[in-house]
Amino acid sequence: MRLGQLLKSASFKLTAAYVGLFSVSVGILAGLVYFSSTSQLQQTIRTRIVADSNALRAEYVHGGTDQLLQAISERQRGRLIGGLDYTLYDAKGKHLFGTLPAVPCKRGWVTFTGPPDGDEPSGEMEKLGVLVTPLTGGYCLLVGDDIGKIGKFGSLILDSFGWVFLLTVTMAVAGGFFLSSRVLRRIEAISRTAEAIIEGDISRRIPRREAPDDLDRLAATLNRMLDRTTTLMESLRHVSNDVAHDLRTPLGRLRHSLEEARRNALSPEEYRTAIDKAVSEVDSILDTFGAILRIAQIESGSRRTGFQDLLLSDLAMDVCETFAPSMEDAGKKLHTEVQHDLWIHGDRELLVQALANLLENAIAHTPADAAVTVALKRGRDGVNLSVADNGCGVPEAERERIFKRFYRLERSRTMAGNGLGLSIVAAVAELHGAKISASDNQPGLKINIAFPAIA
Amino acid sequence: MNILLVEDDSDLAAYILRGLAESGHNVDHAARGDGGFELASKGHYDLLIVDRMLPGMDGLSLVKALREKESRLPVLFLSNLGGLDDRVEGLNSGGDDYLSKPFAFTELLARVNALLRRPHLAGQPTTIHVGELEMDLIKRRVTRAGREIDLQPREFALLEYLMRRPDQIATRTMLLEGVWDYHFDPKTNIVETHISRLRSKIGGDIIQTIRGSGYLIRAARTAS
Repeated sequence: MRLGQLLKSASFKLTAAYVGLFSVSVGILAGLVYFSSTSQLQQTIRTRIVADSNALRAEYVHGGTDQLLQAISERQRGRLIGGLDYTLYDAKGKHLFGTLPAVPCKRGWVTFTGPPDGDEPSGEMEKLGVLVTPLTGGYCLLVGDDIGKIGKFGSLILDSFGWVFLLTVTMAVAGGFFLSSRVLRRIEAISRTAEAIIEGDISRRIPRREAPDDLDRLAATLNRMLDRTTTLMESLRHVSNDVAHDLRTPLGRLRHSLEEARRNALSPEEYRTAIDKAVSEVDSILDTFGAILRIAQIESGSRRTGFQDLLLSDLAMDVCETFAPSMEDAGKKLHTEVQHDLWIHGDRELLVQALANLLENAIAHTPADAAVTVALKRGRDGVNLSVADNGCGVPEAERERIFKRFYRLERSRTMAGNGLGLSIVAAVAELHGAKISASDNQPGLKINIAFPAIA
Repeated sequence: MNILLVEDDSDLAAYILRGLAESGHNVDHAARGDGGFELASKGHYDLLIVDRMLPGMDGLSLVKALREKESRLPVLFLSNLGGLDDRVEGLNSGGDDYLSKPFAFTELLARVNALLRRPHLAGQPTTIHVGELEMDLIKRRVTRAGREIDLQPREFALLEYLMRRPDQIATRTMLLEGVWDYHFDPKTNIVETHISRLRSKIGGDIIQTIRGSGYLIRAARTAS
């Protein structure tokens, strides 16, 4: 994997941002610890010096210079590393004790730098913080301590933080590289699959992993989308084949009859007859086109957005009432067994058309005096709508195929129709998440649509 | 009546222009949507016939823009989309009627005449009289010359549709849409059978069949 790609990857950028944020917070923390510790240390040193100066002044007030010098020597004798420095001089600047240089004798803090006393890092001077205390009689007492160790302590803190910081950043960058390259590899796999599909290998799918995570779920979703796309493409290919095939026949017939008219028609009446025939042929072709377009629209699923809860019982009764007179005129009987108050979630217009198509099929493909029964019943988990007749039925082998586009039974090839009526019904059923099935009505055909219950 | 046709297909436009002129209408034609919009907002037309897909400005936008200018000009959409949602879209954008291409000219003419005669103030009469027929819309009762006629709800709706539009041809498709709210083309002759049942109840002489077009009820029947 190229470094540039890695550096540009989203997960690496995320890691980098995280490391940056972490660095800033470590910096702030180090600063806080540094300042609070050193100022605390300085405070402690000063308090000690002030207390000692006060004690020595008390010695002086009590017993003069002798007692003061004795107290200082006692302190000096017990001096270990970390002890205080003492200096005492008189009004003329003559040192009675100690080596610190004389300064104007005014109460307050001064800082001296002097030769190293051994505990400084090489090359650095000793730094002393000194409290000047004037005493009566012109004497001047200086008490001081090494304040260089404050800086030393501070840099120790900063060093520790520095190491921790360095270690963490190294680990974070390494981890970032590792994680992003893992994620990138999987994204690469997705994009390779997509490339392969673009190249034409439609059957390719994104490899999945054992342990499902976000990326795996994404892969699963994309795979499902690809499945759906493949189905749609397949059906599109079928449709174009079917359309081309099924329209050739009527168009050929049309051409034939027009040629016939050009050659043989003599009177205006004969021309008119030929034109009427051609118009009705064209109308039936347009009809087929309309049905194909409608199926395509139904299958696109866009109508689902307009779904509403609707009373299927009323809809079924309504359509039956509308078709009953036509059925009667055709010498057939229409029975309705419709239960009241059955609701489904759906598209009224399409459901009306589906039921109308089923009834029209029953009218067209049954012998005179046949009986057609429309039943609407509560099913096991939903609502069942069925249209059954007692006609000649459909052979079992062909029953599933009657829902396919342009499929027509051998015996009905010569009748009007385009073989799309049941395809529309099937598309409507599918849109509603309903199961459509054809069965033997003994005798006759029974089409059942099992709608799911309202969610 | 003055009609504006906005249609970019010149053959179809010529066909419509000729047909409407033969029926005594005065028709202007625009081939582009933007030009059509200018004409429609300036001119005094009684009806606009507009194609959905047009160069310059599509039909939906044209009608929406007109409605934004408070125009109440009746609009008939033409479309070769013929899809399920296109009709609803057309009506929602402010169209009054919708016709899918290809169509028979008689269908277009019937719809044009229906839109031109539509009362601008939609009154809500409680009774409708046409000839000897009287329809009480509140009690849902129909009488002919005082004799009550028993009608099924659908027959009542069918008769109401025709009685509300006396002397106007209602095509089979108009009846399917207006009475049944069916927006597809049933292969079965459901309109014909319902008309014939209605005729047998109210008397065969009232509803006339106009061959190749549709049905109508004459307001004042000439003695014959």
